[in-house]
Parts: sequence; C-alpha cells; structure tokens
Amino acid sequence: MDKKPSHARTVIAYIVLIILTFLCLFFFYILLINCTRSHQQIQHGFSFLPGSSFVKNFNNVIHDAKLPVLSGIKNSLIVSACCAALATYFSTLTAYGLYAYNFKLKKPAFIFIMLILVMPTQVSAMGFINVITKMGMINTLYPLILPSVAAPAVFYFMYSYMQSSLPLELIEAARIDGCNEFKTFNRIVLPIMKPAIAVQAIFAFVQNWNNYFIPALVLQENSKRTLPILIAMLRSADFLKFDMGKVYMLITIAIVPIIIVYIALSRYIVAGVALGGVKE
Amino acid sequence: MAGIIFKDVEKTYDNGVTVVPDLNLEIKDKEFVVLVGPSGCGKSTTLRMIAGLESITKGDLFIGDQRMNAVPPKDRNIAMVFQSYALYPHMSVYKNMAFALELAKTPKDEIDKKVHAAAEILGLEPYLDRKPKALSGGQRQRVALGRAMVRNPEVFLLDEPLSNLDAKLRTEMRSQISKLHKQLGTTFVYVTHDQTEAMTMGDRICVMKDGIIQQFDTPQNLYDYPCNLFVAGFIGSPQMNFIDATVEKAGSGYQLCFGEAKIKVDNEALAPYVGKTVVCGIRPEDFHAEPQFAGEGNMIDAYIDLDEMMGSESYLYLNYAGQKLITRVPARYAKRADENITLAIDTSKIHVFDKETELVICQ
Amino acid sequence: MSKKKISAEREVSYAKWGYIFIAPFFIAFLIFQFVPLAQTIYYSFFEYYRSGLTVIGPNPVGLDNYKALLESDFLKYAGNTVILWLAGFIPQIIISLLLAAWFTDVRLRIKGKQFFKVVIYMPNLIMASAFAMLFFALFSNNGPVNATLVSLGILEHPFRFLSSVAGTRGLVAMMNFLMWFGNTTILLMAAVMGINPALFEAAELDGCSPRQTFFRITLPMIRPILVYVLITSMIGGLQMFDVPQILTNGKGSPDRTVTTLIMFLNNHLYSKNYGMAGAVSVVLFIICAILCLLVYFNLNPTESDRKIKKRDKLKPRKEALNG
Repeated sequence: MDKKPSHARTVIAYIVLIILTFLCLFFFYILLINCTRSHQQIQHGFSFLPGSSFVKNFNNVIHDAKLPVLSGIKNSLIVSACCAALATYFSTLTAYGLYAYNFKLKKPAFIFIMLILVMPTQVSAMGFINVITKMGMINTLYPLILPSVAAPAVFYFMYSYMQSSLPLELIEAARIDGCNEFKTFNRIVLPIMKPAIAVQAIFAFVQNWNNYFIPALVLQENSKRTLPILIAMLRSADFLKFDMGKVYMLITIAIVPIIIVYIALSRYIVAGVALGGVKE
Repeated sequence: MAGIIFKDVEKTYDNGVTVVPDLNLEIKDKEFVVLVGPSGCGKSTTLRMIAGLESITKGDLFIGDQRMNAVPPKDRNIAMVFQSYALYPHMSVYKNMAFALELAKTPKDEIDKKVHAAAEILGLEPYLDRKPKALSGGQRQRVALGRAMVRNPEVFLLDEPLSNLDAKLRTEMRSQISKLHKQLGTTFVYVTHDQTEAMTMGDRICVMKDGIIQQFDTPQNLYDYPCNLFVAGFIGSPQMNFIDATVEKAGSGYQLCFGEAKIKVDNEALAPYVGKTVVCGIRPEDFHAEPQFAGEGNMIDAYIDLDEMMGSESYLYLNYAGQKLITRVPARYAKRADENITLAIDTSKIHVFDKETELVICQ
Repeated sequence: MSKKKISAEREVSYAKWGYIFIAPFFIAFLIFQFVPLAQTIYYSFFEYYRSGLTVIGPNPVGLDNYKALLESDFLKYAGNTVILWLAGFIPQIIISLLLAAWFTDVRLRIKGKQFFKVVIYMPNLIMASAFAMLFFALFSNNGPVNATLVSLGILEHPFRFLSSVAGTRGLVAMMNFLMWFGNTTILLMAAVMGINPALFEAAELDGCSPRQTFFRITLPMIRPILVYVLITSMIGGLQMFDVPQILTNGKGSPDRTVTTLIMFLNNHLYSKNYGMAGAVSVVLFIICAILCLLVYFNLNPTESDRKIKKRDKLKPRKEALNG
C-alpha cells in the first residue's frame, strides 16, 4: 500500500547510516594505515595501502628513552584492572547492602548516592590533590585506584539489576542452608550478578584506561605515568621534529587493545549501554 | 520431639507496624499444620519467625524443647520451601540439593547418597545435571522439596509452595506433599491463602486474620463448627451464605425470621437476642430441592439470577428477600436462570452469629 | 537473664550487615570526595598560591577570589564551553533521535542493525586524548586531510584548521559528536523499544504517518530519557577537557577560544593557585549540584510528579486514538 514512501525512507536511512559508519571508521583506518608506514612515507602523502614499517615503528616507540611506553602500558593496565575489580565488587556489595537489608539509614543512604550519581570528580580535584599529598600518596597509583570503591553509577546499575534478577527469597534460602552473610554474598549473589559485573567491569576498565585529567595531576614521575599522559607529552613535544610513524603507533597502542576487546564483547557491551538507560 | 510452641509472641517491624500482636500456638511433633488466611494476616511472618528469617519482638519460640529466639536459621534444624522455589540459578539441580550439606561439611559420599535418595523419591534422577532454568514449574517445585529433604530437618516449612503452578499440577503436588509428609514423619508447617489446599492437606488448620488466630482445629471441625463469621466465610467454597434474620420467641423455643422463612431453633443461647437481628449462616449445600426435606417454616421461594451447571450439580445464584444467596443442588432438581425455585433449608445445619461481635451463638 | 535476651535478639537481626556492606563505599567517598570537596570550598576563600618557590598564604580573603574570577576570562571560558558543548550536542541529539526512530521502525526493516550499533558506539570507548592526538595529526597543516584535499583540487592551499577559530571549534565539536552519538542512540533506542508496541499499532490504524507517529507518540513517551540524556550531556560538557587540551596543547588556541572551564581549572592547579582553583571548582560544583538534583528528580519522580507523568503518558494515546 505505502511501499513507495517506505522504500525511499529506507534508502535515505541507509545513506545516512553509511556516512556515519564511514565517519566512525575512516579515522581509524587512516590510523592503522599510518602506523605501518615510515615517517618519510607519511610526509610524502596519504595512501590507502599499508606500509611495511609496523615493526620498526613499534620498536621505535617501545624503546624511546624519553617516552616510557612499556611502563605506561603496565601502569595503565594496573590502574584500569584494579579500578574495574574494586568498582564492581564494592558497588555490588553496596547495592546488596541497600537491597537486601533493612536498617534505619537505608533510605537516606540510597537518596544520597542517587544525588551524587552524576557528580563529576573534577570539582573536588583541588582538595583531592591536597588530601592525597598529605596522605603521602602523590605520585603513586593508589589515588587513582582506591576512589573506585565509591562508584555511584556502577552502584545504580547493580541495584537496578538486583531488582530484576535477585529475589530476596534466594538470600533467605541461602541463610537457611547455612550460609553466613558474607558467604551468601560471595557464593550466591556474586555468581548471579556475573553478567552485570562483566559489563560494568568493562566500562570501568575503559573509563580508567582513558582517564587523563586526574592522573595528569597525580603522577609526576615518568615511570609512574599512564598512557594518556604520554600522549599529552607527545603533543607538547616539538611536533615538527617528531617521527610521525611513532606518533601514530603510540595512538594505536592506546586505542587498539580496547577496540579488539570491544569487538569481541560488543554484543554484551551494547546491551549493557541500553540497560543503563532503561529507567522508568 | 520437634513440636513448635509460640508463647506470647509479638512481631513489630522497625517502622512500628505490628503484624502479630500476641501469638500462642502449639504445633505437635509430626503434625501437618496449615496456616491459612487472607494476605497480610501474618501467616507468612509466623512461618518466617519459625525459620529465623524474622526476629521476634517479644515472647518465646520453642522448637522441640529449645528456645529458638536467638538461634540463627541454619542451626534450627529446619528446612524451607519458598513460593518462588528460590533455587540457585547458577547451580545444577544436584548442586542445589547438595549445597546445604556441603556448607555443613558433610562427607562427599554421604551427600551423594542423600541427594540421590531424595531425587529418587521425587523422580528427579534424570535432571540432576540440569540448571533450574531448564526445568518446568513442577520440576522446580520438586527440586525445592528435594533441597529441603536432604537435610533431614525436624521441621519442614512451606511458604505457599504451590501458588505458582497451574491448577492441574497443583492438585497433583498436593497429594505428593501429603504423601511426603507421611513418608518422612516430620513436622510440616504449611502456609497458604487457599482454603482448599488447607482443607485437603492439613491435620489441623490454623485460620489467621490480622495477626490473630481465629480458630485452630481439624478441617472437619472448622467446616462444621466455625467459631466466628470470618472462619465461616473463609472455609468452604462456594462461601457460606450470611443472611440477616430477626430472632422471635416462638412457643417454648425461638425462631429466625427472614423473608417468608421462619426457622425454628430451640436453643437457649438465643434468649438475649429476641427482637434483635442476628446473622444466620447456611452453607450452599444445606438448601435442598429434594422434596423429602420440605417442612414447615424452612421453605423459601427464590428467584434465580444465574445458574452454573457443573454436571452432577448446579450452583444457583438466588435473590431472596433482597439478599443474595448461593446454593448447590443436584443437577436434576435444579432450574434455570430467571425462574423461581422452592428450596428447603436443613435447619439442623444452621449457624447463628452475633452481628456485633461476629462470634457464633449456636450451631 | 533480661540482658541476655536483648543481646540474643540482636543476633537474629540482620540490620548491622547492611551497615557493614555499605561502609566501604561511604568511607571511600568520605576520604576521596567529601573531604576534598570541603577543602576545595574552604580554600576558595583564601589567598593561597605559589609564586616562584615561595608559597603565599593561606590568608583569608573572603570573596576576593570570586571577584577576581569574574574579572578574569572566566565568563569567556564559560561561553567557550557552552559553544563547544552545543556544537556537539545539537547534531548529536538530532542524529540519535533519527537513528533511534529508524532502527525501531518495523516498516523500515533495516538490516545489520547490530553491526551499525557496534560501529557507532565504538568511538565512545576511544581514549579521548588519543583521539584528539589523532585528529591533531590528521588535520595538521601538512597532515593527510589537507594533503588529500589539495591533491583532489578542492583546496588550493592547505587549510590551517588549528589556526582558525571555527576550524578548531569545529574539530572539537565533531570529536564530541562522534564520541557520543552512538551512546545516545542506543539509550534512546532502548527507550523507544520500551514503549508498548500496541501503541504504535493503534497509531498506524488511526492513520498516523511515520512522521506523526514520531512527533506525537515516540517523542512524548521517551521524554524522561531525553531529559536524562540532556542533563548528563550537560554535565559531560562541563567536564570537557581531554579533547581541547590535547588538540591545542593546553593553550586553547587560537586566542583561547577553545579554553574550557576545566582547562582553566587545570591551569590554576598546575600553577598551584589553590585559592583561584577553589573558586572555579565551587562555581562548577554549584552548577553540577543543580544538574544532579534534576537527574535525581528525573530518576525518582515524587508522588505528584508521577501522577503528572502518568497523565502525560495517557495524552499521546488519546491523541493517537483521536487520530
């Protein structure tokens, strides 16, 4: 009946989608191409075909004396992995405490966390630096990791997930079966929360992997720095003298691992994003 | 050995709501007791207090001869079957059943023996490796029972275990649970809001309302001798008819008058009510269309609003003297809607209640 | 005996476990967010900075820092932040709505939905600083984009993107758009799919065109999520830092037209002017607190709000029925 307008609309939709897909992928395509080409080739002009300098660029970046890339990767991995573990474990614990138990401060505690749900950490950055300096934690990785224990957004996701997937009767059954409260949490609640924990762990990991503002303020020694800071250092170096193959390679190192993990787990991640938004 | 005694037990929640004001209840060893009542009557709370899932505000709870108020659930030697079954979704059927024993550090081969024994009784052998998600409702229900069985508890607690099943399965599981009770020879406490379940399963039934025990007796006694309007209305389906009637003195006895009917009741308990209105309770099956019941003063001639033919019998919804009545009569004596029917009331089965206190006067 | 009873009764109560389980969160919050925030606010009323190697202050100066803030380029930077945010957000919300409508339109039957979703969400996971560095390299005066444009004959001379206000702002906005439109699309799609499908069928029977359906049913129904997206995006915009910082090497060039509020804060933190940093933070905190409150009421409607929302939900249905 109205096949025709639908048909036209479909064509427009596909055109827009293809343009957007191109925008999303093209830059990464250039990145991947350029990280395989030597400085001279890159200066010479753009090419759609990869070059042969991938290994050379990689070695150059890894062995750059001024740019501690290997330790940067290591630091980034440590911070991101610890943050992911702490944020998911303690957010689940907090959500469980507020979900499964009745106590006087339950409601105020919940309202409080909801109020700070989207409060950015930047606003207290100044005091944060002061406090961790006094605690002797400046220029260490701890101040980047420990605050993850209080992650309101992860908490909210966990709490919503519990409401839909963790009946209170299950907890009571565990009590009768002989679990103490910690055992109930570790042996019953955590396994049930696994899908939610996996999704949030990925998000927490990525977020901290990409984090720049606070680490840049906290970490001052070269050997302690994380990847985003190294990229910023690259930017402030004298750019014209720089080996462009190395620049593209460092960006590749910072981005590609995340993209590979993302493509492998994309189904769960996209579903997780959607879940975060379904709020009635 | 494992009787349960509530002595002056009170349960008040943190928000100040008292669900159970003062509970005194004695459940005997090996007895099958059903706690029944409308939702919010405190029956589940009572069960959960036995389990130790709710704290007791005041009073004492004994299981066997031990005071249990402060004993955590796992040490009470009880097992519980939940309404939603509460099976651990990440464990296989076998693991679900073995979990409690594992936590109690039972040797492996003993766990194995017990789980298989329970699985055999319940017909779960083929499903032991499955996850709960892959089971039907009835199978899940049996796993929940099995999980309770393997622990050899002294007391079985069941919280509306059949309400998530369809009607046919429910009847089936009803007899299976009754059988299990006989087989295991332990105390069963069963919570339901369904009076049919209560009537068919319980050795004794405890009818509750607003946290107060209304009556605690055998099913037959509850049906024949309800102690108040609530119990009379709650037990039996279709419900007992309640008719407002005036008490008159008639010769040496008394009579209850409503519409044309004047029913003779010779009971001195009615003396104080002469000239007053009482509530007259008559079960649907105590209206008779058969001619042999016809007598004097017990006949009513009523208009049929609606009839429900059930095959062997028929439910007639009557309108008599401005009051709605339900009767159950043999099909061959029944008439259809929009007709009039003459019925005789079996006067020996009549219940009379005080309109104010709602307590029974005579029956 | 009675004492024993009281302690015994407590044993069966589980309330204390609730406190134990939520304690780590609140302790971490207290140490790493609350105390720092209190200090930030406190020092915003002090003269406290470093000049060379000597530390000046802290001397209480009342509201002087705030006055200095107003006299500085604070308002200009606030304006920059708003412009950069809007330039990214407007296309983002339009494209996201469009895509969400298309993806959920049963009549369009777009194939490869999962593929598109995966692709458009990808930029969100990219390290913003690396992304900015990539754009910087690509759009530099002799970078591949200029090279391509010149060799194709579209431009005669390379366009100096990073020396022009519009060019630099455009690049920042484009990066923000690319990083966030996928996320928004997925959120909106989830919201649209949460609408009872019978409503769309009813609308179709009543003769709604796809456009009418979108404006008169879909949009009003997903309003709560739209509000959520708007507010969280505003907060995200206020936090904008990595992209302009790396792209312009922290200078906000040309002529500080892409310096955002957080870059301003960052400069004060680096120069260790704690008084001024505190004042900037407090202003940011107040704006964020208002936005947080809005999010809170959006997610937890009060009773009266809920009634209004319900009525709102009925409205489109009525309109759909009246055709």
